[in-house]
Order: sequence, then structure tokens, then C-alpha cells
Amino acid sequence: MRDFKKNTGKWGRTLLFFLILAVLLGGISRKIAKTAEDQEKWVHYRNKSALLLEKEQKNTIDVMILGDSLSYTSFSPMQMWNEYGIPAFVGGQSGQNIQESYYMLKKAFKNQKPRLVILETNVLFRPQKGASGLTMTLAAAGSYYFPMFTYHDIWKSILTGKEYPEENYKGFQFREVTNPYRGGAYMKETAAKEKISRTVEDYLEKIRSLCRKNQAELVLVSTPSPLNYNYRKYNTLKAYAEQREIPYEDMNLKTQELGIDWEKDSLDGGDHLNLSGAWKVTRFTGKYLHENFSLPDRREEGAYASWIEEGKKYEEKAKEKLEAMWKDDKITGEEVENRRERSLPAYE
Amino acid sequence: MSYHDPVYLFLFLPAVLLVYQLTPRKKRWLLLLLAGYLFFWTISGKLVLYLIGTTLFTHYIGLWLELLKKSCAERLEREKSLNADSNKSSEKNRPETGEKAVREEYRKKQRLVLTLGVCVLLGVLGCLKYFNFFARNANLLLEQAGQGSLFQVKNLLLPIGISFYTLQAVGYMADVYWEKIPAQRHLGKLALFLGFFPQIMEGPISMYGQTGEALWKGEDLRGENLSAGSGRILWGLFKKMIVADRLYVLVKAVFEHYQDYSGSIVAFAAIAYTLQLYMEFSGCMDIVIGSGRLFGVRLPENFCRPFASRNAAEFWRRWHITLGAWLKTYVFYPVSVSRLVKKWNRFGKKHLGKYLTRLGATALCLFPVWLCNGLWHGASWNYIFYGMYYFAILLAGAALEPARIRAIRFFHINEKALYWQIPCILKTWVIIFTGELFFRANGLKAGMTMFFSIFRDFRLSVLWDGTLLDFSLDKGDYLVICAGVLIAAGIGIIKERNLLKGKGLQDMRTPVRWAVYYGLILSVLIFGAYGIGYQQVDLIYAGF
Repeated sequence: MRDFKKNTGKWGRTLLFFLILAVLLGGISRKIAKTAEDQEKWVHYRNKSALLLEKEQKNTIDVMILGDSLSYTSFSPMQMWNEYGIPAFVGGQSGQNIQESYYMLKKAFKNQKPRLVILETNVLFRPQKGASGLTMTLAAAGSYYFPMFTYHDIWKSILTGKEYPEENYKGFQFREVTNPYRGGAYMKETAAKEKISRTVEDYLEKIRSLCRKNQAELVLVSTPSPLNYNYRKYNTLKAYAEQREIPYEDMNLKTQELGIDWEKDSLDGGDHLNLSGAWKVTRFTGKYLHENFSLPDRREEGAYASWIEEGKKYEEKAKEKLEAMWKDDKITGEEVENRRERSLPAYE
Repeated sequence: MSYHDPVYLFLFLPAVLLVYQLTPRKKRWLLLLLAGYLFFWTISGKLVLYLIGTTLFTHYIGLWLELLKKSCAERLEREKSLNADSNKSSEKNRPETGEKAVREEYRKKQRLVLTLGVCVLLGVLGCLKYFNFFARNANLLLEQAGQGSLFQVKNLLLPIGISFYTLQAVGYMADVYWEKIPAQRHLGKLALFLGFFPQIMEGPISMYGQTGEALWKGEDLRGENLSAGSGRILWGLFKKMIVADRLYVLVKAVFEHYQDYSGSIVAFAAIAYTLQLYMEFSGCMDIVIGSGRLFGVRLPENFCRPFASRNAAEFWRRWHITLGAWLKTYVFYPVSVSRLVKKWNRFGKKHLGKYLTRLGATALCLFPVWLCNGLWHGASWNYIFYGMYYFAILLAGAALEPARIRAIRFFHINEKALYWQIPCILKTWVIIFTGELFFRANGLKAGMTMFFSIFRDFRLSVLWDGTLLDFSLDKGDYLVICAGVLIAAGIGIIKERNLLKGKGLQDMRTPVRWAVYYGLILSVLIFGAYGIGYQQVDLIYAGF
């Protein structure tokens, strides 16, 4: 009886310890998340999209775009809005892994009812072997349930005034630097396939079921990137998409149709697209979505007044920047440096 | 998987603890062994076969040595009874002669078996770790002699922790040979000693007598062990994630691009690396020792406030203690009783006098220790230089010791007074920082270049003029590093001066203890160098 009492006491104390810890973590998480929400400029570029997504007016997003840096350097939601009236949001992050894509989507479904979820497929080929996949899973889940993991560095801004100022247009940022890709054709036909990690497949399935549960359609898209794509990946994705009846679009096979000029449209030698490349991809995507999915034009709806205003601001700036980019076939020297300073690298 | 990895801390370790408690006591050793092999496999995959092979071989050698000992004892018994019979018949016979011959015969056999065991284990280690180093240098010599390259550099995969478990295995064989311990008949016991998962990656290098039996006991999980172990793990994470992983960026930037830096930046980087190494290695040891403690196993300590050392010799008694102890037991002592040293002592006494004889003997004993120390760290000239650097310093210390004692007596210096201790500690710091500069440098040439560049363009103003902000570390990072170091130093001083009168965290009241735990957890979560802008830093000593 004494042993029983002693053990109960021990277990009770342990339980109390973890209960207090959970309350502390939850409380601090809430406080940190609130601070991040109030002080957007204190939030790192990588987390800004997630923060802005939470701040979007309820049920206004029709298209949610996920993926790594290829997603936010390729799709411009404001351009899609201006051209087709499709309200989209890019929830992509640099080096986003599939677990983070899943939790970003979960976050999106909290406040939004997107009809379409576009997943930029480069995220599917990030290797996740053994423990590394588990680590990513734990990190993504932890950050979702306890935002203090995501914003834990905010103390730096509080203490030292460190800021991350930037223009963010529904997850898209202007990147005006041109660094051509001159490697030639990269989609060389083959029957070989690239392997997708088991963890990635599992999370892709989770994303599919989350979409199904929320009545959203999942679309897989590969944006033009000579350094990241090849025919082997295309074969894998095509087979996967066909087997599960998921729409799949590989723009790497349509670079001519898109009008991609690797001399002008590449940000960093064939890895990411710059503003000019993103403009072409977005124009193509808008048309593709408009023709293949019955997405309504929201430009006349009152709930989107702020979108119209932001769209105008975006258009003015984009026009100016694009004209400057297209005017000079080959910009050199000081101008390149100036633009580099103005422009964000893809991995910031 | 690594000790600071969330998978280890939140999945692997709790799962092993849970299954351990649910497993019958007699089978717990098996669970720990399987956990060890699983842990090894997640890092080195099929190379776990090296560990299994080493275990089987070490076990066999141990049994062989034991068998020889038994045979020797039996022969001696027989000899004794024979001698007793012959003594009765003839008083003139000398029974000792026969016994001595038997003993000598078996000692030779045992020595051969031990040599075989040591050579095979060190041979495997040597082939995997040093072959390319040997090949590159041999080719260089051959090329200079006008002949082409003879050896091909190979892509050899090194199993994790090979340098650690090999030393443990060699130590075990030597201990059996010296009859410090009996050979372990149970293969599982020995396998667990060599493959206990908290020790696999970075040690501590324990001797069989220290942990072998404790691992086998399979004690129930106890509240005090869980509490103490968890506290230790948290403290290790604090040191690694708050200080060490932050300094990594700066250290990497300067050491990888050393040509771009000189003066105080290089000196600062050497200090930063020393701090990084200490915080990371001792932090990892805290996690390791804490993990062991959760299971009721007390692993040997590897650090004892090394920055409070007053000289290099003391530093090495406080830094990587288990490696020092291993080298002392298995290299220093055997050499000091070797024929060579005995011969030297005889020669010295006749021709050189006491001082030079002792100095020569010290040199003879220390040289292999520090050569092994350098080589053990890696196959590179800068590690050999690192070993020789400490050899030279310790030898110089031994040479100057009589003069030092005379000076202290002459000037009536109180060695315990702060005015004497602080300069001694500062002098030791300079020795440590210089050594670590060569240790971290990308080769000996780079180390030399960096060392001499310190004396060029030395400006202390770089410490506050914003230059240090160029290393991807901002003011906040430096603030946290300073706070972390100060906290660690404060705790070190409290322990060194025994200000808590031998009491530890476990002796404090629950609210205080919990407050410390919550403080550590939240510090790591908020100020830890993880997430955006940081990268997960591999354990430095796991690479050795």
C-alpha cells in the first residue's frame, strides 16, 4: 500500500511537471505568435508567407500554392488576380519539405476554403532517408502545434531591433536579377525514373486526403528549372499522377509554349526563375486554371476590395520592373549590382 | 541520428526507456544491445558488421588469454607435484626453475595472443582511418624520389565511433592479459560493453571494470536517475545548441577562408573554436552521461572544468579525461616499464646524472603517448603536430620544473594565491587556444599560416567595429553566446570552488529543481541555434 502511494505520488509529480511544461510552451507560443502577428517586420522572410496567410480575410483564397523556392519564384498571385480574377496565395518556403507543405495546407484550411491546391513538385524529390525524414516530421509537427519553434528567433528583433522589411504580394516577391542558363536542352527523353522517398509518398497521400476532406482538388505542377528537373522526374510524376488521377503539368516540356528565354528569365543560372520568368509561368498557369478548372472571376466581389487595390499597386511596380528587365538584353556592371541589392535571392 | 537530434531525444531514447522497463530484468541487456546496434545502423548502416566483428574477435582473444592462464596454472600445479615428488627423492633439485620456465613460456604465448589481438584491431582501424594518409604521403615521397605514385587513394567508409570502440576493445584485452579482470565468457556482456548506444559515437572511452557489470545489471528505472539524467541531457543541449552551434558559423568562415583573415580575427576564431569544441564535446558528453544515467549506468566523466587548469599537464587531466586515462594506462605505463626505458635509466645513472636521466625517461614515455594522441584524432599532419605540440610543452614543463620550484621558494610565492593562479590560468589558455588553432586548421600548412598571421595586422578594434557581424552572426547571437559562456563559467566556478558544499541539483527542493529544468528547456527552445539561418551541426568528435 505504501509502495502504491509512493508510486502514485511519483507519477503524479511527473504528470504535473509535463502539464506545467505544456502550459508554459502553449502560453509562450501564443505570446510569440501574437508578437509576430503584430510586428510583421520582425518575422523572417521564410515565415512571412505563413504569417500573412493567417492574416488573410476568411474564405477569400481559391488557389493555394505550396512548394519550395521554385513555387514562390514562379507563381505571382497578384498577376493571376489581375489577369483572371483568381485569388491565389503562395505558401511556399525556401527548402520547404513535404511535411511543411502538409502543415502549411492544414493551416490554410483553418481559415480558407481553397478549391485548388497546386503543389510544386520539386518538394517531392528532396531526399528524406531514415532519421532525416523523421527529424523533418517532428520539426514540422512541432512548429505547427507550438509556433514558438517557428518564431523562436523573434527575441533578436525585440532585443536588437533586427527587421526583415520586404514587399510581399501574397507570398511572391520581386526578383529582378538575371543570371542566364546556358546548359542547353535538359529534358532528354528516357524511360528511367527518379525515386521518391517513402516518407514523401506518405505525406503526399496525407495532402491528398486533406484535400479530399476539404473538397479541394490537388494539382501537381513542375515549373521550369533546368537544374532541378529532368525526364526521369517527369516519368515518375506522370506515372504517379496517372495512377491516382491527379492533374499534372510539367512546364519543363513546354518552355517554348511559355516563351521562356533562358538568357533573360533565369535568376541564378537555371535554378530559379526571375520576375520575367515568373511573369511567363503565371500567365500560362492563369490560363491553364481558367480553362481547366471552373474557378470564378472574383474581381467584382466586394470582399476582394483590398485585392483590387493591391493588384493595382503590384501591376504598376511589376510593369516598371519588367520593362527595365526586358529593355536591356544584357545588363552588366553596376546595374547588375544595383538590381542584385534591390532583389532578394531565392533562398532568403 | 545523433545525440542532439530530436529523433534521438523524443523518439529513440523514450522508446528504449519504455521497452527497457517493460522487459524482464534478465533480458534488459539484450534490449540495450539491440538498441545499440539499431542506433549504429541508423548512422553507419551495414558497417555495423565492423562492430560485431570487433566484438566477436575481442571475445575470442579474451577467452584465449583466459585459456592460456588456466593451462599455465594447471601446468604449474603439475610441475609443483612433480617437483614435490622429486624433492622427496633428491634434495639437490631446484623446483623454481621448472615453474619459472613454464611461467615464461605461457607469458610469451599470452603476449603473442595479446599482440595478435591488438594488431588486428589497430590494423583494421589503421587501414580504414590512416591508409589514405599513408598512401598520399608515400606517393609524395616516391614522386620526389623521381618515381611515380605507387598507392591508390581509396574511398574508405569509416564506421561511426571506430576510434572509440577499438580503444575499449584493446583496453579490455590488455586488462584480461594483466589479470585486472577475468575474461568475459558471456558474449552478450562484452557486446553491450562495446556497443552501448550512448557511448558509440563519442565515448567516453570506458574500461571494462568501469561499466561492464553496471550495464549488465538491468536496474529498474528510478525517479532519481531519470531526473538526474534528464537534467544532465538538458544542460548538454544548452551548451551545444546555444553556444557551440552558434560559434560554428564564425569558426567555419574563418578557418575555411583563412587566407582572407589575419591578426585579431584569427586569434578570435581560435578562441571561438576552443569554446565551440568545449561546449559541443562536453555538451555531448553531458547528453551521453545523462542518457546512461537514465538506465542507472554511471559512465565515466570526460571533462572537469579544463579552463581552470594552471598548466598544460593539468589541462589534460581535465580535458578528454577518458582518452588521457586510456593512453596513460595502455601506452604510458607499459612504455615506462619497458626494457628501453630501463636501459636508458641504467645508462643515464652512469653517465648523465639524475636530472637528465629523468628528463630523458619522461621524453621516452611521453613521446608515444602524444604521438598516439595526435594520430588518434585523425590522419592528418596537423593532428600529429597537435600531439607533438603538447609533447614539447609537457617536456619543457618537466625540464623547467626544478627551476620553477626554486623560483617559487626564492620569491616566497604562495601558489594558491589568486595573483599567482590567474596568470598561470591565462598562460594555459594561450597554450590551449594555440593548440586548438592547429587542431582545427585545414592542414598543418594552413595552421602555420594562420598562426603567423595573428602577428600581422592585430587590431583589437575589430571586436567592436562591426567586423564580427560579417560572419552571419548578429548582435543578438553574440549576446546569447556571451550569456551562455558566462552561465557555464559561473557553474564551473561554483563547482570548482565547491560553493554548494558538494550538493548538486538533485539535492535541491523540487520547485528549485523544476525551475532550473524549465529554464533550461525554454532557453534551448528560444535561444537555441536551430531553424532559419542555422544549420544542424554534426558532432565534431563523432568524426574522429
